[in-house]
Amino acid sequence: MADSSQGDPILTLQAQVGEEWKAIRHARERTSETNTKLERALDGLSSTDAAIVVFGSLARSEWTQSSDVDWTLLIDGQADPEHLRVAQEVASRLEVEGFTPPGRTGIFGNMTFSHDLVQKIGGREDTNENTTRRVLLIQESKSFGKPDAHTRTLKHIFSRYLKDDRGLRYGSLPFKVPRVLMNDIVRYWRTVTVDFVDKQRGRAGQGWGLRNAKLRMSRKLIFATGMLSCFSCEVLTSPEIREDLLKDHSTIAMEEHLRRFVQKTPLEILATFLLELRIKQETVVKLFASYDKFLALLDDAEKRDRLNKLPLEEIPTDPVFGEVRNISRVFQEGLTALFFHDDDRLRELTIFYGVF
Amino acid sequence: MRPIGFSTGALAYGDFRKGLAILRGKHTTTRELSALRETELAPLVAALDSLDLSGYTYISVHAPSKFRVEDEPAIVGLLGVVASRGWPIVLHPDAIRNAAGWRSFGPLLLIENMDKRNISGRTVRELSEIFAELPQAGLCFDVGHCRQVDPTMNEAHLILRAFGDRLRQLHISEVNSRSTHDPLSSAAIDAFRAVASLVPENIPVILESPVREEDVGREVEQARLALPVLPTGSWARARSADLHSAIA
Repeated sequence: MADSSQGDPILTLQAQVGEEWKAIRHARERTSETNTKLERALDGLSSTDAAIVVFGSLARSEWTQSSDVDWTLLIDGQADPEHLRVAQEVASRLEVEGFTPPGRTGIFGNMTFSHDLVQKIGGREDTNENTTRRVLLIQESKSFGKPDAHTRTLKHIFSRYLKDDRGLRYGSLPFKVPRVLMNDIVRYWRTVTVDFVDKQRGRAGQGWGLRNAKLRMSRKLIFATGMLSCFSCEVLTSPEIREDLLKDHSTIAMEEHLRRFVQKTPLEILATFLLELRIKQETVVKLFASYDKFLALLDDAEKRDRLNKLPLEEIPTDPVFGEVRNISRVFQEGLTALFFHDDDRLRELTIFYGVF
Repeated sequence: MRPIGFSTGALAYGDFRKGLAILRGKHTTTRELSALRETELAPLVAALDSLDLSGYTYISVHAPSKFRVEDEPAIVGLLGVVASRGWPIVLHPDAIRNAAGWRSFGPLLLIENMDKRNISGRTVRELSEIFAELPQAGLCFDVGHCRQVDPTMNEAHLILRAFGDRLRQLHISEVNSRSTHDPLSSAAIDAFRAVASLVPENIPVILESPVREEDVGREVEQARLALPVLPTGSWARARSADLHSAIA
């Protein structure tokens, strides 16, 4: 196996294939600058019981112009009426700094309570909003200021997914992939795709082009890397960690592995797998070059604006949307090659856990 | 049977004589003499010869948790009297300013893992940094603090596996969200049972639950429920691998 545990897997991968993904680099640099600005702006607002958590492009290190800040005040502690004032202060300081506020779904820009995320996994009370917050917390989240509440909540969530997974702990299958977590990640992706159509109807097509581009690329990326995170338990863990599960039925080490693994951004997770499994260069280029083009397109104010305002009837002939279509098809080919063709083990896991 | 006793500070805030008096005849064999506040240390040390400590199989002293930096040498000096009796000294790592003085206590110094208010001494990684400075020091594992930091008890598991060979004493109580000690609840008991197999039977257990005199026996029984004795060897097997390094 190639060792991608040290250093930056994206830079290592880039050097290996001899390409330069400028838009990805640019987005990461701008994320770093934005993080510094946010750290300063939000200084003193978090506590050990309430963490300021951001999601979306900032958490993925894919910051482009016009990116908004999807944030929540994640509370894991005693109820305190002051939490509302803190949340309002976060919103106010972000506005003063000129950040675009979160979209209109109501999922971000407010308070989130850890109890719902931890206790309501599945069942009638696990609402669309709750699932979204929980899965995004796993797949693309970053805290500013004190991280304690964020870290504790993530630990709890992984603990619930893995400790409640009797098949993982006691099953006789040769693979050790957390199936309950995997199913929730798959469920979330399918929900996003169905909700896309609901928004298309509810908003009379407004913003369709941009949402569709994101669905084809960044949303699909976190679905893919969510699956890879689950597969990492089987493919990228040490024998000691698997032995703990196989012999003692203990998921503790696996939970810790997952919690640390998902601290990588989705693109870093993808790069780690491409390096570790020595995936074909052709596939690497398809995935990263297409994603690079996608970020470049989002960073182009004119094209982004065009996508955002694209009337539904102009979709078939619009050159900007045509560009999105071409980029996303190459990205899809890359994902298909990665999950089904280039590596036998990954194909086996994908069929077993992802399809049937 | 596990040796279980109390901290004098839990039973009689700031009054070790009263704490010891409450425990007399309660069939507990371990004691921690508390000098958590700096002003309590000198009187405690001065009184050591006059205290009736017969019948106890284990005695430790909790060092002050807060003091001025210029007072550190004097505190280390007073605790030297404790160390000369061969009694372990429990210390909060954030109290240390100059590790050299504390290093002189060797394995008699027990570092306690901290609660969520602190920014060090809470996790395997943070404790590793402290033990690097104090290579001979032992661990006083506060299972209540650790549950407050990580209620899944995974960190407790990892700490006990990483530092099992340093484990000399256990602190047990419920630590609430305000970081104060409470008597053991059923939720805490359930949580602590998850790591009981990693604590050898002979490790002294010190309760820090603030209870009334008439509730001392009941709280000891609650502690026994929280820390059942498991078949010999299960903890040793669990300690055999340093899982933290494998994960990292």
